[in-house]
Amino acid sequence: MSVTEEMLAAYADGALDPAAAQEVEAAMAADPALARKVEAHRGLKAMLSAHYAPLAEESVPPHLAALLVPKDAGEAPAEVVSLAAARQKRGLAPVVRRWAPLVGPALAASLILALWQPWQGRTPDGYAGGDLAAALDTQLVADQPADAPTRILLSFEREGGDLCRAWRASDEGGIACRDTTGWKIERQFALGEAQGSEYRQAGSETDLLAAAQDMAAGGALDADAERAARERRWAKP
Amino acid sequence: MKRTSPSVSSAERRGTLSESFENQVLGLLPRLRRFAIGLAGSRADGDDLCQMTIERALARRDQWQEGTRLDSWMYRIMRNIFIDEGRATTRRRETFVDPDAGLSVGGEGGQEAAVELSMVDRAMARLPEDQREAVLLVMVEGWSYKEAAEIVGCPVGTLNSRLVRGRDALMAMLEGAQ
Repeated sequence: MSVTEEMLAAYADGALDPAAAQEVEAAMAADPALARKVEAHRGLKAMLSAHYAPLAEESVPPHLAALLVPKDAGEAPAEVVSLAAARQKRGLAPVVRRWAPLVGPALAASLILALWQPWQGRTPDGYAGGDLAAALDTQLVADQPADAPTRILLSFEREGGDLCRAWRASDEGGIACRDTTGWKIERQFALGEAQGSEYRQAGSETDLLAAAQDMAAGGALDADAERAARERRWAKP
Repeated sequence: MKRTSPSVSSAERRGTLSESFENQVLGLLPRLRRFAIGLAGSRADGDDLCQMTIERALARRDQWQEGTRLDSWMYRIMRNIFIDEGRATTRRRETFVDPDAGLSVGGEGGQEAAVELSMVDRAMARLPEDQREAVLLVMVEGWSYKEAAEIVGCPVGTLNSRLVRGRDALMAMLEGAQ
């Protein structure tokens, strides 16, 4: 019996040279069990292909693509030193960790706090007005001033295509989504004073980001997508 | 036709050498990410593995020789990082993730498909790392045995026997699901 398990599998993969393939075919003709084994190998391959193929069709997360654009186009995401370290990310909850490389620079910059001025003016109940509305309308995560009183943490689309943005100021933050009236405030959080280094944040800011992740239909918008959304005046794409 | 989007104009400011390297890596990312998620067993860990791979590739770009295949070079970097990190990853998975809970990294489908897909995830998670990478490289990523052996850095015969053991284990675990 010269046909090995390795040869059967390689035959199923089409990886044998013609002489060896003929040998396997002869053995299969003589022994139906071998033919069934080859079929099982092919079935397994089809199953694995079907399982993993959709992953390569997904769009790449923006924070990974961002590593491959010129440095001057945006701030570099935080380096992942090891998988274990990335997981812990100094206490960030797992739900937030995936977005941390994207929002990290905004969080860090938000630690340089200027005076927070509550917005004023007459706006419909439940909608952002004044300075907050202006920040939501105009500021981009990638190029907002480091000392902006209101920092945009990230922008995303929710189910249905509405554009939403998470912001934080010194002691509060929230999520607002754009509709025909304006920026409707969907969530609001009282936030502790941000302090310490890079990723140490008030627990409730973690809640804010987790809430954003729950609302988002996909990932956060990257710099180009956010700029395009602003040019559309935050209308649905 | 000239495009004027911001990404194109910023790319034009760069030298052609580095531009082609980064764009080529970008083009490989969907496949690399699939391999990473398959190896690591979850999207979050797979994306972290992708990030480390990109960072290492950028840092060592001068070690890649133009004219040689960039894709196999990138796969090699990724599997080396994964194997280096492997012990910590495995330990964590055993501690925090019940393999029976299912990791569901695959595509979406009907309810029946979803059940079947999570069985694949569970079965893959139970394979030893060397068998899992052999299975992914050949049966999912489509590398020849010889190419896969070069990526792993082992003789073809070794790759072949890991692949067969991995296949047999998967077929035993997935019996009836096909």
